Amino acid sequence: MTLLLENISLTIGDVLLLKRFTISIEAGEIVTLMGPSGCGKSSILAYIAGDLTAPMRATGRVMLNGVDLVRMAPERREIGRLFQDDLLFPHLTVGENLLFGIARGGSAERRDLVNDALSRAQLEGLENRAPHTLSNGQKARVALFRALMAKPQAMLLDEPFSKLDAELRQSIRNYVFAHLRERNIPTLLVTHDREDAPLGGRIFRISNKGDLIRA
Amino acid sequence: MKQWLNSFGGFLPLGIVWLCPLAAGLVAVIYGARDGAAWSALFDHPQLWPALILSIATGTLSLIISALLAFWIVAGLYGSKLWSGSSGLMGGFLSLPHLAFAIGFGFLIMPSGLIARMLGNFSGWTEPPQWITTQDPYGLSLVAVLVLKEVPFLIWLIGALLARPDISQMLRGQFRVSQSLGHGSGSIWLRVFIPQILPRLKWPLLIVWFYGASVVDVALAIGPTQPPPLAVIIWSDLNNADSVINARGTAGSLFLTAILTWLALVFLALQKAILPSIWNFLTRGPSRRRTPRITSGVFLFLFCAAYAMVFIILCVMSVGTLWPYPDLFPTESRWTAWGLFFTSPAPLLNSLSLACASTLAALALAIIWLETVPEKLDTALLVCAITALALPTLVIADGQYLAFLHLGLNGTWVGVFLAHLTPVFAYVFIVLKGPYRAFDPRYRSVSLGLNTDPYRFWSSVKLAMMKPAMAAAAAVGIGVSVAQYVPTQLIAAGRMSTLPIEAVTLSSGGNRPLLAVFALMLAVVPALAFIAAARFGRKTL
Repeated sequence: MTLLLENISLTIGDVLLLKRFTISIEAGEIVTLMGPSGCGKSSILAYIAGDLTAPMRATGRVMLNGVDLVRMAPERREIGRLFQDDLLFPHLTVGENLLFGIARGGSAERRDLVNDALSRAQLEGLENRAPHTLSNGQKARVALFRALMAKPQAMLLDEPFSKLDAELRQSIRNYVFAHLRERNIPTLLVTHDREDAPLGGRIFRISNKGDLIRA
Repeated sequence: MKQWLNSFGGFLPLGIVWLCPLAAGLVAVIYGARDGAAWSALFDHPQLWPALILSIATGTLSLIISALLAFWIVAGLYGSKLWSGSSGLMGGFLSLPHLAFAIGFGFLIMPSGLIARMLGNFSGWTEPPQWITTQDPYGLSLVAVLVLKEVPFLIWLIGALLARPDISQMLRGQFRVSQSLGHGSGSIWLRVFIPQILPRLKWPLLIVWFYGASVVDVALAIGPTQPPPLAVIIWSDLNNADSVINARGTAGSLFLTAILTWLALVFLALQKAILPSIWNFLTRGPSRRRTPRITSGVFLFLFCAAYAMVFIILCVMSVGTLWPYPDLFPTESRWTAWGLFFTSPAPLLNSLSLACASTLAALALAIIWLETVPEKLDTALLVCAITALALPTLVIADGQYLAFLHLGLNGTWVGVFLAHLTPVFAYVFIVLKGPYRAFDPRYRSVSLGLNTDPYRFWSSVKLAMMKPAMAAAAAVGIGVSVAQYVPTQLIAAGRMSTLPIEAVTLSSGGNRPLLAVFALMLAVVPALAFIAAARFGRKTL
């Protein structure tokens, strides 16, 4: 699995926010994109996912396993996402949230999938709980496994650790990275905090002039 | 102590002019229905059960179709350029009273109506077709009017909900996540948005359902007659000179309310029992189905066309004195009906005076409450307001009629004013409460810190900032008051005429131009109020 961002540039109106750049993310690799607020980090993720809205505009090719995604509908791209907020659906239980991206299957099969995910997430027995009864750490793990259970071909992380407290932040970060690497998923992480970047991974920084610089 | 006195001061006027008449009405209707003979007479009524089934069927059918269409249109258009324009349009449609729309719609679909004339021109008919359109035995034309009127109301409500920053932000995030999990926009609406929006609409949906099942004026204008809906039978009993038949009407209004409440409770119980399996079904597997943009646009266009045609036919009908079939336009036009209307302006003046007085009183009561009573007590008042709106108008009006008999208020302007105040205050309070309570109290601290006295702060800061909400509440109040038929007819006891009373009376007669004039005026007064609200409600800070 490879995610290739080729000749991507980003503008708002007539203003060029991000000059043309190319990054290739290999299977299991986590690449970090850093920059100050408003520099267009999240918009790049939105472009890759297919839901960039006006006045932002981007050009360039987004290739996933050799297929150009740019004209593909967002729901067909098979790209998982994690946001600052866990965004668990409040009207569904934990189990139903986990199954939200799963294609149809028998009820026994689906139950097994939920139990397996909860066991891996160390959340056994919580399948019938409402999301608001979970702690922040538990919610973050459910959100991760909901995304992973849909078997994404690539993953986009939009500052997913920024709202967690310092202690939880480190453990969840390591937890997320470990699972993404285990599944060989190419991942692009956007953050403004260098501490969130995985050790040894490639880091790119967006300069004030809109250049993408390897840090 | 001072705070308690302040709160009491806010509660007192409301208690006297709004809560007491409302409570007295409810007590009086229950007390008035204690007569066993009245209940026996009700259950002996040969048309009771078919009329009840018809009432429940028309109310339920109109609610289901309205809700489906409203969600279909919103899901298809939300986020598009058409959406921003259409939500404003819905506000305009809302200002048109049900009765005025029903009269215009009747002119459209009747055998010699505009639609039959268009078909006649197309197919060469020389005589009106022998169709039963208005007052059809199944109440389909009644359902059609209710759907055409309730869909804009529901779209407006859903739009207001989606416009709330907290909700729109939450849904935007959930939309992105759902897409990343393989769901198309249609699937997201069905599985994520609607399940979260629907519970927030339970009270408006209940009001729509109760209204559809107990409406009188629209049913008199366009509903079936053999049997009529139960509300019409009750209405006929309540207007009868015989006190025994009056008592049967009172028992009937309570019976209808009890049946509707019981059905609502059964539905709630069933909903709780079957909800888990529904969610289970809804969350099975991603679907890439997209929202139906084209059909949503088509539905919206059809709604706009229906409203435009109703307006056009009312205008044409009001001046057309000779209009042979299948001509599309009258062969002879005169302003006779308009002349007649303005030479006897009592209905218009009565409607205007009642609307202005009840709206001003409702605004004053609401502001006094919101200024003096702690926010935690709002819920109690909100429950009273929703009760006043959800209960069939027949029940409250009949109760108030019985209570006002003892006070000598029937047949007086004050009595009718108090009866109008019941629904007007409920709507005004609901519209005003949100913006008023959301007012940031730090503005007061800042203002007082700038050596501004409390009165000046209120008049030049708070009033100015609350002006749009107050103007909107006033427009809603005027629209609600002008449309009141049942309470006006009962409490006025034939001594006062208003626009809806004249319109209903004319709808069973032959003077169509005059009926069209009354329907138009019934529509024009609230429309002017909404236009004025939009104009004067602009912030001037």
